[in-house]
Amino acid sequence: MAKKKAGVDRRAFLAGIAAGGAGAAAAGVAPTPAAAAAPQSAATLPAVANGSASLPGPRLVAQEVGTPAVEIDRWHVHNAGSDYMVDCLKHVGFDYITCMPGSTFRGLQESITNYGGNSKPELLSCTHEEISAAMAHGYAKMAHKPMAIIVHNTVGLQHASMGIYNAYADRVPMLILVGNIADGATRRPGVEWYHTATDVAQIVRGYVKYDAQPLSLQSFGEEIMKATSLALTPVQEPTLVTVDADLAELPNDAKLLPLPKFVPVRPPVADPAALADVAKALAGAQTPVIVADRVARTPAGMALLVQLAETLQIPVVDIGNRMNFPTNHHLYAAFDRGLIAQADVILGLEVGDFFSVVGDVPDFPVRQSVMKIKPTTTTIHINSMYLQGEGNYQDQQRYYNPTMPIAGDAEASLPYLIDAINRAVTSERKAQNTARASRFTDAWTKRRQNDIATAGFGWDASPIAVPRMYAEVHNLVKGDAFSIVGPTGQMGAWSQRLWDLDQPYHYNGGSGASGVGYQMPAAVGAALAARDQGRYAINFQGDGDLMVQPGSLWTAAHHKIPLLTIVHNNRAWHQEAMHLQRIANRRERQPEHATLGTLINNPNIDYAKMAQSFGVYGEGPISNPDQLGPAIARALKVVKNGMPALVDVVSQPR
Amino acid sequence: MNRIATRFASFTLALAAALLVAMHGASAQGSPSAAATAPPGDAARGKADFLSFGCYECHGTVAQGNYGTGARLAPHPPPWSVVSSYVRRPAGDMPSFSVKILPDATLADIYAYLMSIPAGKPSSQIPLLNSTLTPK
Amino acid sequence: MAKKHSGVDRRGFLAGIAAGGAGAAAAGVAPTAAAAAGETPANPPIVPNASAALPGPRLVAQETGTPAPDVDRWHVHNAGSDYMVDCIKHVGFDYITCMPGSTFRGLQESVTNYGGNSKPELLSCVHEEISSGIAMGYAQMAGKPMAIIVHNTVGLQHASMNIYNAYAARVPMVIFVGNIADGATRRPGVEWYHTATDVAAIVRGFIKYDSSPQSLQSFGEEVMKATSLATTPLMGPSLVIVDADLAEMPNDQKQLPLPKYVPVRPPVADPAALADVAKLLVNAQSPIIVADRCARTADGMALLVQLAEALQIPVVDYGNRMNFPTNHHLNGSFDRTLLGKADVVLGLELTDLFGLVGDVPDFPIRASTMRIKPTTTVISINAMYLQGSGNYQDQQRFYNPTMPIAGDSEASLPYLLDAVNRAMTSERRAQNPARAAAFVDSFSKRRQADLELASTSWDASPITVGRWVAEVYNQIKNDDFSLVSGTFYQGQFPNRLWDLDKYHHICSDGGAYGVGEGLPSAVGAAIAARDQGRYSVNFNGDGDFMVAPGTLWTASHHKIPLLTVIHNNRAWHQETMHLQRMASRRERGPEKARTGTLITDPNIDFAKFAQSMGVYAEGPISQPDQLAPAIARALKVVKSGMPALIDIVSQPR
Repeated sequence: MAKKKAGVDRRAFLAGIAAGGAGAAAAGVAPTPAAAAAPQSAATLPAVANGSASLPGPRLVAQEVGTPAVEIDRWHVHNAGSDYMVDCLKHVGFDYITCMPGSTFRGLQESITNYGGNSKPELLSCTHEEISAAMAHGYAKMAHKPMAIIVHNTVGLQHASMGIYNAYADRVPMLILVGNIADGATRRPGVEWYHTATDVAQIVRGYVKYDAQPLSLQSFGEEIMKATSLALTPVQEPTLVTVDADLAELPNDAKLLPLPKFVPVRPPVADPAALADVAKALAGAQTPVIVADRVARTPAGMALLVQLAETLQIPVVDIGNRMNFPTNHHLYAAFDRGLIAQADVILGLEVGDFFSVVGDVPDFPVRQSVMKIKPTTTTIHINSMYLQGEGNYQDQQRYYNPTMPIAGDAEASLPYLIDAINRAVTSERKAQNTARASRFTDAWTKRRQNDIATAGFGWDASPIAVPRMYAEVHNLVKGDAFSIVGPTGQMGAWSQRLWDLDQPYHYNGGSGASGVGYQMPAAVGAALAARDQGRYAINFQGDGDLMVQPGSLWTAAHHKIPLLTIVHNNRAWHQEAMHLQRIANRRERQPEHATLGTLINNPNIDYAKMAQSFGVYGEGPISNPDQLGPAIARALKVVKNGMPALVDVVSQPR
Repeated sequence: MNRIATRFASFTLALAAALLVAMHGASAQGSPSAAATAPPGDAARGKADFLSFGCYECHGTVAQGNYGTGARLAPHPPPWSVVSSYVRRPAGDMPSFSVKILPDATLADIYAYLMSIPAGKPSSQIPLLNSTLTPK
Repeated sequence: MAKKHSGVDRRGFLAGIAAGGAGAAAAGVAPTAAAAAGETPANPPIVPNASAALPGPRLVAQETGTPAPDVDRWHVHNAGSDYMVDCIKHVGFDYITCMPGSTFRGLQESVTNYGGNSKPELLSCVHEEISSGIAMGYAQMAGKPMAIIVHNTVGLQHASMNIYNAYAARVPMVIFVGNIADGATRRPGVEWYHTATDVAAIVRGFIKYDSSPQSLQSFGEEVMKATSLATTPLMGPSLVIVDADLAEMPNDQKQLPLPKYVPVRPPVADPAALADVAKLLVNAQSPIIVADRCARTADGMALLVQLAEALQIPVVDYGNRMNFPTNHHLNGSFDRTLLGKADVVLGLELTDLFGLVGDVPDFPIRASTMRIKPTTTVISINAMYLQGSGNYQDQQRFYNPTMPIAGDSEASLPYLLDAVNRAMTSERRAQNPARAAAFVDSFSKRRQADLELASTSWDASPITVGRWVAEVYNQIKNDDFSLVSGTFYQGQFPNRLWDLDKYHHICSDGGAYGVGEGLPSAVGAAIAARDQGRYSVNFNGDGDFMVAPGTLWTASHHKIPLLTVIHNNRAWHQETMHLQRMASRRERGPEKARTGTLITDPNIDFAKFAQSMGVYAEGPISQPDQLAPAIARALKVVKSGMPALIDIVSQPR
């Protein structure tokens, strides 16, 4: 229950007036006789004069009782608590707050607009709270700062839940504010009860790092700072603070301590002694490999990883959940997984699923585990996830204990590791670097040549081949500063294969927990960050994912976000189509019926028209590859003018 | 990037290597030696079957394949002897198409379709495929 | 962990072969030397790499003298999920909504290739919220539940809000959730993100039951139990986990035949209590009946009419179910004076009893008020008294009536009717004509007043709700239709002015007011209506529509005759009004208050959106004269068996 304000307990105060206290008659209050006389029976509640009685105005009360004018009367509230809440949000520095409006937090919303000036934070309108969460997810990775989201209790948080889970699995910070009306006696019947819970955060506990239900404004401010701090300290994750409606809507009459300066926590680094061992192992290795997953937390991360790799000319397998390593660097080895099998030392950095690097469970009827590495391989893992545990969900993946498990944030540890290597490396070893670099340059060149050759197959096919689609886009954007804000791995990672992605902002990773529906809204959020940084954004978008939250497009139009969306329209939830094919074949029956329920056709959805209905420039469906270039060019023009655009490409399934 | 790339990529490379060895010497679309060992088949029926039996899901509608999914099968498909046994007892991640669900005659039609897919321009003649060859 | 099959433990069996057991060499298996030498501490036990071929069934049979197994390297026969489909058919599900997901791929293939995609038939949905929303609407119209199947974690998260809505609405559904219980059999990556130890944790609190069967025997029993619990008042969603190992491995157990499915007889109110109730009603001067989630079936409505007519008692119908005909003289839903004058109030399945007898008006100080006289006798017959659940507040505020009686209202009505007839006196019966006449009079006056209200600003643009609701009715009133949405945002004009007197005329329980429930639940109800030979009409707010707009593709894909009219006020208007209240309260920025509540700039073109989904659509229509022809064209499409949409630029309320 929200703590009552110190000083005057308003409900009692006014009840006193209504029941005929000092000055009531003079004030014109006319309690009904029945109300004044009625005993408090168990079955009835204390009667307050029904809607027609007027309460004393501030001046009268002041006159009668000798206290300063109250900030609250029958119709008005001044100095509402939610104004202070906005002060808190500004204090920790949120630029944006996504919002599908809901009455549980109406007080805070009004304060954002009319007290905070709708700027820092600025409200971003979303047609579904899943969009609110996913926008914050995409934004934080591109902006390198978190976004706040505000959701309606129960129903809004349910709506947002998958978006929060994806962000949690992807180790991305956001602050989730949830409206609540803690005191049952102040809830209006009906809606306000359905939209309240005793334990608000229960449905997301297991995939938020922290949650709190502050009962006073003093506590609210502290919890906002704590929640933001926890969200930003590696392992970065979503956190949650409830916004009690009484706190928000009643006057703020407490004397609040000033909020302390917000100082981000310095991330944990790996033990230098351990790093010295790592350096020795790497320097002494014949065929070392670095596997990088969620390393680059800040724009500085990529440069550090390049530096590390170049100390010993170690190839880097970039798993792609962050923009860890330039794709046009000779040590970029994302597509040479054979290196892992041949490695004698593997250094993993913030790898979400180390087991999958070293082993596998192929999809056969009998699920057996296989190892991909030699038994003698030394595996090293620097990972901040070792510092965190959480129940129920399996985002930590399968247990695998490397030779050297080291707790610490990889990016923060890199400078020390680089130092350690520089100290450990011998001149003989350093002398090998030129030859190693040359070997990897050769391998990189051969791989790229092979990719170029491969890209030509199906070039003129209809449905349009994926390499063709990527090449047409590349041709038009390659001179610009752009960000790719949707994952590309499932379609063959052609941007990583053939484009020169060498800036931290070039790529924004994937969904985290593979929850379908992440991509379109996250792309919008990331594109917003890119826009603020002076860039437009590109999103290669699956159709099934797009259909989860198509309303994201309206948000992009409403907030003028320069995002080019190319729909990879294979008219299916294709991943599942392949799964069902596998099962039908496995059971040796009716393979032609296997994909029933996995196709998005009959009718085909017209995504261009859909985009237009949301005020977004749209073209398509395009099935003739020769029309692709000109269509993308037209769409890109719109995007460079600051608005979203969409091109629907009838695509090969993969 | 998707985990599937991990599994399929290494296998795809292995298969591609095996197939390249098997196909050494084949120059034009549907080399005579490959075609000679294949039973007769109807390419038009085969195209319809390639779609309805689901081959296109991993291999693409013109069997061009992609990373992280099925291998490229055209132009210049592997020899019939390789394809016909692999499809029944795949060594990698491909699901099996047993004789029970994909009779030999149907597979022959599909193979005929693969053989009929023409080679396109090589990438060297495609201006848009002009990525740099020199890494940093 | 899924129980291993009795008899051969396949992993052990095959590992034995792999490590060099009998016949391994003959089978062509070539374990690596390291494997044969045993495990090294740093790495898990090694199984021969993927290229090794495993023995075919004939060889195994030859070597071990057991029958050929149902599983080899590539194939599985007699998969467990076939039996699962048998169970689902056994309890009689006609449909199963589905956004495909790999955790339940085995079951999905069995639904298609074993079950013939009929009873149950797969309904394709682009979001699991649509899956649960469709099930919610369907059950209300069909009088039987629908099954839904969702992906673990992410799918259940997606589905959660409409599960909560269904729970609050007391509507049954059975939720199947894929899971891979055994960590050793999960493929890396996706299969771990899509598994949980406690799968149902996120919905526990708003489902009635959940279970995680570890064998096919148990699965069959749990499906029957879950369905039974879901459909026994107090109805609600229940959940059964579909383990992927159970589904995808062969069924080599002998399952007991499933017993016949017999629905549970609902609980009825104590006849002694009902006798007291009857006496109170017979002796009351100004009794009223308030019906909320009372009529579960058409019988419920018929019984309520009988009860009301026995004593000429007016009935206030909250509108969550079709409890009482709108054109009956005793329909007192819109007579606000009745409650204040009542001496006896009988509540039937009233979820929010406090909200009937009291209020907490929306002022800065939230003070509670009573709306009834302190001497009023309040009776509540409710199955909700039989259930408790934590955390969520769907039971609303505590209010203890004079006579709280546990039992299902509809099932209790026949007994209450009997009791009333026994308690009736001839004097009291003689009062009926006069009472009836008074209510006939007030009904007519009220309806006349509502007609005048509806005609206000008849030609305005944006179009008034009274106008467009009337235009729709004008073209459907001679048909047998179902109105499959709530009408609260339309001033309840259909309930006020239309003659809705069949149970299937309206289907509208929105549950917990989670915005976005309207469109999928309308489609679900329309499926049931279609199967019963009727088309449906849906009044849909624009904000609600935008939550799960992809529902329209499902309507198109599955050929559902549903006319959707968009009540397009270009806002989340309820919240617009809330924000306006806040700004006025704080005496600042009233013009800016609605920031973040408007759906404009750009305006969404709902007709174009619908067309992109393959749905016939017209609009935006802002001139009322264009309405009639547009509705006629759209209705033609609907009557031919397909969905259609009209976008009406509408007054906010």
